[in-house]
Amino acid sequence: MSTTRTLRFRVFRFNAETDYLPAYKIYDLEVDEHELMLDVLDKIKWTKDGSFSYRRSCRHGICGSCAIKVNGKSIIACKDNVFELADLFETDELIIEPSRTERAVKDLIVDKKDFWSKYDAVKPYLVAEIDEHPVKENLVTPEDAELINEADQCIQCGVCYYACPAVEVNPDFIGPAALAKAARFTTDVRDDAKLDRLEIVNELGKGIWDCVKCYECATACPKGVDPIGKITTLHNQTFEEDMAEDNVATRHAVGFKHAIARHGLLDETEIVRYSEGTFGMVKHIGVGLDMMRAGKVVMPWNMHNSKNLDEVKKLIKSSSTTTFKGK
Amino acid sequence: MSVEIRKYDVVIVGAGLAGCAAARECQMAGLKTVVLTKVHPLRSHSGAAQGGINAALNEADTTSHEFDTVKGSDYLGDQDAIELMCQKAPETIRWLEKMGAVFSRNEDGSIAQRPFGGQSQPRACFAKDRTGLICLQTIYEQAHRAGVEFLDEWYVGDLVYDNATSKVNGVVACNLRDTQFAIFNAKVVMFATGGYGRTYKINSNAHANTGDGLSIVARHGLPLEDMEFVQFHPSGLAGSGVLMSEAARGEGGHLLNSNGERFMSKYAPEKMELASRDVVSRGIEREIMEGRGVGEKKDAVYLDVRHLGEEKIMERLPELRDLALAFLGQDMAKEPIMIRATAHYSMGGIPTDINCHVKKNPTETVTGFYAAGECACVSVHGANRLGANSVLEAVLFGRHAGENIVKDIEAIAMVDVDESSADKFMKEVDWVIATNGSERVPALRAYLQETMTENAGVFRDEARLAKQKEIIKEIRKRYQNIRIDDSSRLFNTDMQEAIELGHMIDYAAFIVEGALARKESRGAQYREDYQSRDDANFLYHTYATMDGEGNISLDKGAVSIGKFQPEARTY
Repeated sequence: MSTTRTLRFRVFRFNAETDYLPAYKIYDLEVDEHELMLDVLDKIKWTKDGSFSYRRSCRHGICGSCAIKVNGKSIIACKDNVFELADLFETDELIIEPSRTERAVKDLIVDKKDFWSKYDAVKPYLVAEIDEHPVKENLVTPEDAELINEADQCIQCGVCYYACPAVEVNPDFIGPAALAKAARFTTDVRDDAKLDRLEIVNELGKGIWDCVKCYECATACPKGVDPIGKITTLHNQTFEEDMAEDNVATRHAVGFKHAIARHGLLDETEIVRYSEGTFGMVKHIGVGLDMMRAGKVVMPWNMHNSKNLDEVKKLIKSSSTTTFKGK
Repeated sequence: MSVEIRKYDVVIVGAGLAGCAAARECQMAGLKTVVLTKVHPLRSHSGAAQGGINAALNEADTTSHEFDTVKGSDYLGDQDAIELMCQKAPETIRWLEKMGAVFSRNEDGSIAQRPFGGQSQPRACFAKDRTGLICLQTIYEQAHRAGVEFLDEWYVGDLVYDNATSKVNGVVACNLRDTQFAIFNAKVVMFATGGYGRTYKINSNAHANTGDGLSIVARHGLPLEDMEFVQFHPSGLAGSGVLMSEAARGEGGHLLNSNGERFMSKYAPEKMELASRDVVSRGIEREIMEGRGVGEKKDAVYLDVRHLGEEKIMERLPELRDLALAFLGQDMAKEPIMIRATAHYSMGGIPTDINCHVKKNPTETVTGFYAAGECACVSVHGANRLGANSVLEAVLFGRHAGENIVKDIEAIAMVDVDESSADKFMKEVDWVIATNGSERVPALRAYLQETMTENAGVFRDEARLAKQKEIIKEIRKRYQNIRIDDSSRLFNTDMQEAIELGHMIDYAAFIVEGALARKESRGAQYREDYQSRDDANFLYHTYATMDGEGNISLDKGAVSIGKFQPEARTY
């Protein structure tokens, strides 16, 4: 027999036409073990209050309409099991909110213009002369097709975008979804606009160097797109194409390699010194002292070398593509 | 309230594969084109297609693709349209590929193909099990690149049709954001509004697939064709009806009953699980009816793919594995999963000629009106569609419609319309928001869906169909007494659901009337009281029209027979 549980849902309700502030309404519902969050939304609409509004369509995780937040976790409603969410948060009460409350128009419906304008910014289409009546396909090896595949699974649901803390503090940041889309085309052997796109995503303040590498996007993505992996692909491509400017953001990325090359182990002090310069380290003294007190910083004179330092150096030499533009 | 009138050369309703493909053609030819869609284009249900898109990439296979399609259609498909489709299919696939679609590949770099039901050759091209998503993205991206104007979250509620001149002059729509109305006045209108699977309780369709386009047309007294033919897909997940692609069987999956038997040996000894969809669905439902179902309520059968191995499942069917995990908590790499037949695809629809012109009756067309994709009945699927022919039809005939619009448009007049064209739809919306009855839309819709599944589903007979006809009459009456909760003009999805239910009631009546009159079993229509096909009396297309009271009259249209004379159909 299937089991049921009575759970409490605290739901964000707001109508931009009539309300000054949102309110959270409480609905107690009996939920079956197989039910998904979308079933809960439907139940509220169909049995409690027909004015409750949200987007949804395919109901099986392929159209990307129903992105919401549950207890702050960014999800698509038709993919997440209700019991699993309740268990994850160890609670009988789940808070249902739009993917970004500041952009709410009505209940869970948000104005997604910001998301789509970022999508548009990366030239989200194959740029090539299209043969309108082809008799043969392009030959693409299974390996080359596989390179594109992961990013091509993206359904533009916006779950990663609204989970991204960098987007939250920097509204100009293109964000994980559109950057993954850019990478989908820069890795496509048939595309003619790789350099244009890399130029767009290479811009400081907007592009790949503003990612803080927190991995929220990879964790949140319901389709296994791994957006941060695609951002890393773009990082590498800017070096390969000799487009990476020498600045604090790129030096921070290269600093990892540099720091590892010295000792075969990650030397965090050296990353800071390399990316910001000895003088630039001064502004971090406060944090540095705190970290030292907490035993989080290894002093340069205590930094030991990896047993396999020679091999690490060889590996870096044979695989690294990092050179700065014009250097 | 004032109504804005916007002028275009071409207005396309629906932004799935057919709508986007047509829009791109029109835009590239320099026509002022707009696409209206009630969801964002990338949310269209085309994206949910999983398993594949057919093409005889090896030219020698074309005739066989034609034959398989004709046989699959149980000889009701129009062979001129089928010929066109099968011949242009390889170019269509390669065109998608050139535009960026990432098809799964063979080692030599060419496009890979997999076997599908009812087909003599492996000819379904695929992108893992997300073929629709990849095709939709690609076509939308290239239409977007070409500069097509897309208006999303606009709900089209009426057609501007002049009965006296048989000319369509635009559509009436409202912006779902604020319920502002506008008339899109155009030389040409194209409908690409999708199918009507949501009339059934167990279905694989998206919430958006309410088939509004069909009844919008029918409410003007224009005919709908072959509406009785609804495809029940063999493998919907137990309970939800969410689709498990035929690719699972194409890759070698088995169907098992409670005794562990591969029961398809009884119904299609040669093709087994890869017989035509109607045959497999009936097999599954028969096993359940006779008590050999599995699960708590014995209302499902097993789909078993374990023998393919985890690696192949992850390589070829990753999406399916995810779905079974999410909906049933069953991992198909480790255990058989529970499925049963689910309402999936609409063979019937808005009748068109081979060049996508909408028909006014079996022999004449409407001026300035086109349709393609699942909402249309051209008819390449006849009484039963083959797996992986729908994505093909949508892309190919969508593009074909666009090409024909470009060809025709110079000879089509721009007829200016005034605000009064919007009256009917505005009144409908105002009524839905203001009316204060006692019937609830979700409950009434559930009643319609449950009874359609029960009385007009996989197995049909006179008594149940007649009963359903009365039930629809009753629902139509009760609909007049509805009440909704939302009186806001902002994203009023409550109002939208009520309008959509009105449409569902209208075309459900077409399904039942067509099924009642067709006293034979052909393809997806199976009558227990008339179990065989009757070419002498029923080898025709049903043309049905509706009067103001919802009464349906029936007419007949000729089937185009070409190379293949009707013969017995076994798998």
